[in-house]
Formats: sequence, structure tokens, C-alpha cells
Amino acid sequence: MSNKYIGQSVKRVEDKRFITGKGRYTDDIKLLGMTHASFVRSPYAHARVTSIDISAAESMPGVVAIFTGDDIKETGIVGVPTGWQVNFKNGDTMKEPPHPLLIATGSTAKHIGDPVAVVIAETYAQAVDAAEAVEVDWEDLEAVTDPFKATQEGATLVHDDSPGNLAFDWELGNPLDEVNAAIDASAHVTTLEFVNQRMVPNAIEPRSYIGHYDEVSDKYTLYTSTQNPHLIRLLMCAFVLGLPEHKVRVLGPDVGGGFGSKIFHYTEEALVTWASQQTKRPIKWTETRSEAFMLDAHGRDHVTKAEMGFDGEGNVKALRIKTYANLGAYLSTFGPAVPTYLHGTLLQGLYTTPKIHIDLCGVFTHTVAVDAYRGAGRPEATYLLERLMDLAALEMGKDPVELRKQNFIPAFDGVEQPGYQTQVALQYDSGNYHGVVDKAMKMLDYKKFREMQQEAAQNGKLLGVGFSTYIEACGIAPSAVVGSLGARAGLYESAQVRVQPTGKVSVYSGSHSHGQGHETTFAQIVADKFGIPMEDVDIVHGDSDAVAFGMGTYGSRSLAVGGSAIMKSIDKVLEKGAKIAAHKLECAADDLEFAEGKWTVKGTDKHIGFGDVALTAYVPHVYPEGLEPGLDFASFYDPANFTYPFGCHIAVVEVDKETGKVKLQRFIAVDDVGNVINPMIVDGQIHGGLAQGIGQALLEGAIYDDYGQLVNGSYMDYAMPRADDLPMFELDRQETPCPHNPLGVKGAGEAGTIGSTPAVVNAVIDALWSGGHKVKDIAMPLTGERVWRAMQSS
Amino acid sequence: MDLAGSHILNTTPEVVWAMLMDTDILARIVPGITTLEKTAENEYKAVAQVKMGPVNGSFSGGLTMQDIREGEGYTLNVQQNSKIGNANATVTIDLKPVENNQTELTFDGEAKLSGLLARTGNRVMSGVANSLTKQFFENFEEEIEGKGGKG
Repeated sequence: MSNKYIGQSVKRVEDKRFITGKGRYTDDIKLLGMTHASFVRSPYAHARVTSIDISAAESMPGVVAIFTGDDIKETGIVGVPTGWQVNFKNGDTMKEPPHPLLIATGSTAKHIGDPVAVVIAETYAQAVDAAEAVEVDWEDLEAVTDPFKATQEGATLVHDDSPGNLAFDWELGNPLDEVNAAIDASAHVTTLEFVNQRMVPNAIEPRSYIGHYDEVSDKYTLYTSTQNPHLIRLLMCAFVLGLPEHKVRVLGPDVGGGFGSKIFHYTEEALVTWASQQTKRPIKWTETRSEAFMLDAHGRDHVTKAEMGFDGEGNVKALRIKTYANLGAYLSTFGPAVPTYLHGTLLQGLYTTPKIHIDLCGVFTHTVAVDAYRGAGRPEATYLLERLMDLAALEMGKDPVELRKQNFIPAFDGVEQPGYQTQVALQYDSGNYHGVVDKAMKMLDYKKFREMQQEAAQNGKLLGVGFSTYIEACGIAPSAVVGSLGARAGLYESAQVRVQPTGKVSVYSGSHSHGQGHETTFAQIVADKFGIPMEDVDIVHGDSDAVAFGMGTYGSRSLAVGGSAIMKSIDKVLEKGAKIAAHKLECAADDLEFAEGKWTVKGTDKHIGFGDVALTAYVPHVYPEGLEPGLDFASFYDPANFTYPFGCHIAVVEVDKETGKVKLQRFIAVDDVGNVINPMIVDGQIHGGLAQGIGQALLEGAIYDDYGQLVNGSYMDYAMPRADDLPMFELDRQETPCPHNPLGVKGAGEAGTIGSTPAVVNAVIDALWSGGHKVKDIAMPLTGERVWRAMQSS
Repeated sequence: MDLAGSHILNTTPEVVWAMLMDTDILARIVPGITTLEKTAENEYKAVAQVKMGPVNGSFSGGLTMQDIREGEGYTLNVQQNSKIGNANATVTIDLKPVENNQTELTFDGEAKLSGLLARTGNRVMSGVANSLTKQFFENFEEEIEGKGGKG
């Protein structure tokens, strides 16, 4: 099989419509008779609704209907569910308080923006005007936003039946007494207490939904800006509204980014669908940017104490962690899974640490839900490990790179050498960790850098280098494994490959692109495997009526899981095609070889083309006896394991002595994401991921005040990374194939975010130490003020 | 948000006190206030128009005076609602005679903001509060001048 496309930087077929403003997003869709929704939302983080008066609003121009929490309560609709169950250590069931679509009179709003009513009107402006005329009386109550404070004696409760504001407490790893003993026996213990701050996902396209109940067909259509159309349909039908699934179509048109925040089933999706049935009119709701800041599930928000014990030679002997993870007011779809099974399980890192224990509290607060944000748990794990490593090296006077390398798991390919079993439940598939570090160090020219750093220090300048090596669990996920860990869904993927009579190919994938370039990467694979031009392949995704089923796009899973499902269907097409070709060529199927779009009888020039075989399959006049007509195969692929991409990131910074301002001078990333189908797309993914990871280190962070108000909920107040905050990235790759999927791919969507944040913070700390400021930690984001204050206090 | 400051006014505490208790005068000197009416003893209803950087809104709500110390000061509770969010403030005002028949007015308190006001206005809020305070005392002084200054 020739590879004309695989491994090539083919330009993305999507980009023509995206960069010419012709992408078709949910908000671009206009249906006949469509109405518009606007929500009445709580201005308080915690407040009881004492009354809702819609009388003035009802008579406003254009108002079609107003629904309040009281109306929803009457229907018996309880709310949106979570997709994971993580129980208490002692076996008690996770606290799972209802997440209502609208707050009813007598109940309490639990974060700013919690909705009490929805106004549906002929135009959006009319809906907004009438929503402002809805009179709600509030009893403002005390709020708690910090996950540690929320667990302390006397803290106000988010849910009356969740004492200590705990959804669950959870542990993983070796028995605690063994870990305690190993810490006690250590020659050196590096301790770090820190906050992994709260992040706003900031997809460029705000969430947008259209609910459309059609009386004629008695069917519902939901257009939604989602990463996950089938899961939304399943959750909404089976767990929220009780609708028959075969009567509901969920369509995800073009989606302008998500970074995790559009995986989840939001209350507004269910509400516009339900309300459309009530009003018999299509209803559109597109959130404002202000609503996006308030309501799209946030990321991170951990308060942690971590201790790493070393023996006298610098070998890591133990790791002990206590973390308070903020879950927000309600459990979002993946909320319970992110700090536990996507975070605790990654605490082995790349090291042979023999004893690991994490104790973690999942905490309710009066803030919007916290869920997966690019990397989802794995950036938090990497940040913890890599900050400890660099700090330990500084404290022990060792080289941070040598310290890592002496503790690395030795290289293994997962075929000849077995996978690596960690202390925290996972088995790594394949890895060569020294390889990526050696490559990155060469790019840095380490020796020269240290000389420059010394020289700079003598001239009163602060230069620093920071390292980070990471591993992530991607290709989410083997269903049986995640099922045993509390997932309420399987995490396989489906793909149908339909060869049309003319030899053109339609592929129906359950992976749904929200910017990743599925239409290009998937087409590259199909075109090469069939030996046809890419133009002859169409990738259909984001339509629950067209695609059999799907688990969506997140966790760097599309290619590893969705691509593998496509490969399974391709193989079935080629197997059947060979039978048809053999019949036409009057030989046995075993005598044929398939290459460059045709089956050839081995050792001869007798052949038949892919298109001829396709036509024969649909016009089966001369056809093998007993073989069904058609050339159309569907497959489900359930991965055997997670995939484990890894890499090494290096940041070089200069810190201004007078102002504390950090200038990121260089950023080197060597990532091993397994085999690469489209290098340009992978580089693009790394670039975007790096920007977000560096953004967390230096600029971003959601800030709630003591009353639970989000005080930086706009682009004037929330510092997004911009091009001039970033250097030209220096990228390279190593390719260690994944041994357990047919493409050998591992996933690249989150690598940049996961590896980069600690490298930048480590670099700043290194710069400060070079000037004699022995600072252990500076809370992210590392603004000039914070760095300056750290220098003054040391 | 903390609200605190002080200012020397060019008249006696008695005059300042009388002015602070006079609804008509307050309506003239408090920046942004469009109407102020007495609803009960020590309770007032107020409507104000405030523009703060990106935030521009019409506020209405109540003011209540508590802990009244005749001629010396009181505590002011302000509850103002608007479509762009609500503001609650509690401010203690103290009057102290200083030399030359002047009065030092000190205020100290806290304001709690919600909604859009908190989300997008916070960055500029302390600057806005400072300029409103400055405006208030300028108006106060003009009012004193108009009354003939030193009593």
C-alpha cells in the first residue's frame, strides 16, 4: 500500500470555509418560525428565590412564552446528570444533588448565572427586554468558593445533604502507611503547597443551541455546538427529558472550539428542546460572551500539598499528595472523573517511584461546574510532579535533567518488552523517555545556556531554564476499564465506510470535529488505504441520524479510537472487495494483492480497479455466489488500553529585576505522539496547546471574590495569551508507535497544554535562584507583581 | 470593595450634620442621584444614574441610616438594584471638629457588588469610587460656599 497522503502535511480541507467566513455554526442556522430565548439568571452566587413575577414580562412585545423553575418542577424534570460516579473511600455513594434546568421558588441558586426563568420571544432583543422585566426576589446568602475552605468546619453548605461540601473523597495508590514510612525514611523530602488555578476555557464560538420540535413527524431536532452529539442525545433522552431516542436527532454543525467545555450536557440544551415542544416553535439560544465566562464549565482549581521523598543518591522513593479539587456547585458530565481517574492515575509520571498515595476531596462550592479543560487532570498531575522535580533539584543541588533521567522508567516498546505497570492503576503502552529529553537538550544547547545564565547573573540579569517531562493517558478509553472506574458510558467509537457505486467513499464517524481537522486527517487515511484521491472521500460527522453512534471528540481520542474504527471498516471493505475482484479475475482471493487502487493477480499484470469492484458490488450481474451485494461496512472499535503520549518541554525566560516581568525567550517542545498522519495538523495542535499551557503559567486565571462573583468575566479583565506573549516555538518529534491500535497513533490534542505550564514556572524559579532569590513557589499566573513580590520577600 | 477616606470641610460639624440630614441637599451633592425621597424616619428611596467605564446603569433602591449619633455621625446602609447587577454598601460616617472651625469627615465601609457590575466593572470600580467621592466632596464644598461658608 503506498502512502501518498499519510505522513504528509496536507492542507486542511476545512480551512477554506473557515478562513473565508463560511463555516456553518449553529448560530448561522435560521429556521422558519424560529424564536429566541433569553435567561433570567441569578446575580448572586448563593441566594434563595423567594418569588418570581412574570406578569410585567408576559405582556412585553413579541413574548411567546415564559417558563420558570416552578413550571419545570411541575413537569417532574429533575435536571441534567453526571456521567461518572466516584464513591467515597468508605464505599458510600457519591453525593449527586440534582442540577435543575431552572431554579424554582423556595430553592436556591448555587452560582452566579444559575437560571430561574427563560423568556422566549420573536426576536432576541425582545427576549432580552422581557427577561429584564421578570421580577425575582432574592434572599442573598453566604457563599463559599475555595475548595479547601468549603470543607472546613462551619463553612456554608452548597447542598444541604452534602456535609463538609464533599461529593466524594477518594484515594489511589499504595497503602498510606507504606507511603508514610517511605517518606519518613527519605534522606530528603521536597514539599510544595500550591494552587493550580481555575481556568476559563474560552472557545471562540460561544455555546449555541436550537431546539426544534416538528409536529408533523413528531420528531425533535437539537442543533448544538457540542463535541459530543450522540452522548448529548443519550443523556438528554434517557436521563433528562425522557424522550424516545429514535425520535430525536442531534446535529452538531461546525463547532468553533471547545477545549473540553463542549463535551458536557448543559441545561440549556435540554431546555430549548423541551420548550420547543411546548411552544411548537423552533427556539434558538446563543450565549453572550459574558455568559460564556460565567457558565461554560471551568477547568483545574486544585489546592494541593505534595511531598516527594528521595534517598541519598537522588532516587525518588515516595510521593504523598493531599488535594482539594473544586467541582463547582453541580457535577458536570465528566466532573467527578477529571480530578480522579484522569489525574490521580497519572501521578507515576515518567518515574519509577515505588510508593505513591493520593488522597483527594471532590468539593462543592458556589461556583460554576469544573470539568475537563484541555488536558483534563493530566496537566494538574504533570504540574505537580514537574514542579517537585525541578524544586528538588534546586534544593539538593542536583541537575534537574540528570535527576529526572536517573529516575526514568527505561525504554520499552510494548511488543518485545512488556508495558509498564504503574503504582496508580495504569499500564503504559510504550515509551522512550530518555529519547525525547536528549533531543530537546540538544536543541537547547544546555551547556551554553548555563554559561550564558552565569554571565547574565554577573551582569545583574536573571535568566532561567525550566524543564518538564510528561506522560498523558489518551485515546480515551477502554470501556471495561473505565466502567470499572465509575464511567456510566462505554468509550469506544463507531465508523461506517460506505463505498458508493462509482467508487467514491462516504465515511460516517462518531468522532466530531470542533476544529481538529477530522475531514482532512481521516480522508488522508481512507484515500491511502483505498488508493484513491482524497477528493473522492467525504467525512460525515456530527449528525446522530447519519452516524450510527459516537462518543465524540475529547481526551485526544479521535484518531486513536475513531481512526481505528475507520481502519476496521476499511479492512472489511478490502476483504469483501477482494472476493468480488477474485470472481471477476477468475482466481482465488489469496492470489490477489491490493495496491494503488487495484487488485492485481500476483506475478501478472491482470488487475481490476477499486471503482470497478465498487460498481460490481452494486450491479452484481457477474458476482460470487452467496455474497451480498453492496460495499458498506460499519464497525465499532473499543481500544485495548489508553495510549500514552509523552514528551519533554523546555522554557527559557528572562525576569526583569526591577518589575518582575517575565519574558518567555524560548520554548522547546519534543513530543512523542506515536505515528503521525498529518505533521502540520499535529504541529498546529501542539502550538495551540502550548499557548494555553503558557497562558495558565503567565496570564490566565478565573477570580471569584468572597461573595462568589466572577470579577474578571470579560476580555478586558481576563488575560488571554496573545501572539506577542509567545516566542516562535521550537518543535521536534520522536515517533514511538502505539502497539495496540492499527494506526500506531497516540493522540496530540492535549500534549502542548499538559507539558508546558510547569516548564515555564520552573524557568522563572530557576531565574530567581540564579539571582539568589531562593523562592519555592509563586502562585500562577506569574504576573510581574507576583514575581516582584516573591523577589522582595526572599 | 473597601470604601474609606476622609476630607476636611470648611465649616463646623453642626452645619455639616444638618446638611447630611437634609434630603434636598443630599440629592444635589451625591453624584448620580436623580431622585431622593424620604419614605420613613431615617429611610430614603433613591434613584441614581451611574456610568462606570464599560458599565452604565440606572440604579434604584433604599438608603437607611442607623446608629445615629447626633452631630457626630451615623452608619449608612445602601441597597441599590439595577439590571446590570446590585450593589450593597455599609459605610460609617464620622464627623470630627478640627481647628479653624472646620470638620473632618471620615468614612469607612465596604461595598458588595453582584452581576455584570461585579464581572466587568470590578477592574475600574475603585477608580470610579474615588472619582465619585472626589465629586461628592467638591459638590459638598460648593454647597457650603453657597450657604456662606463658615457659620
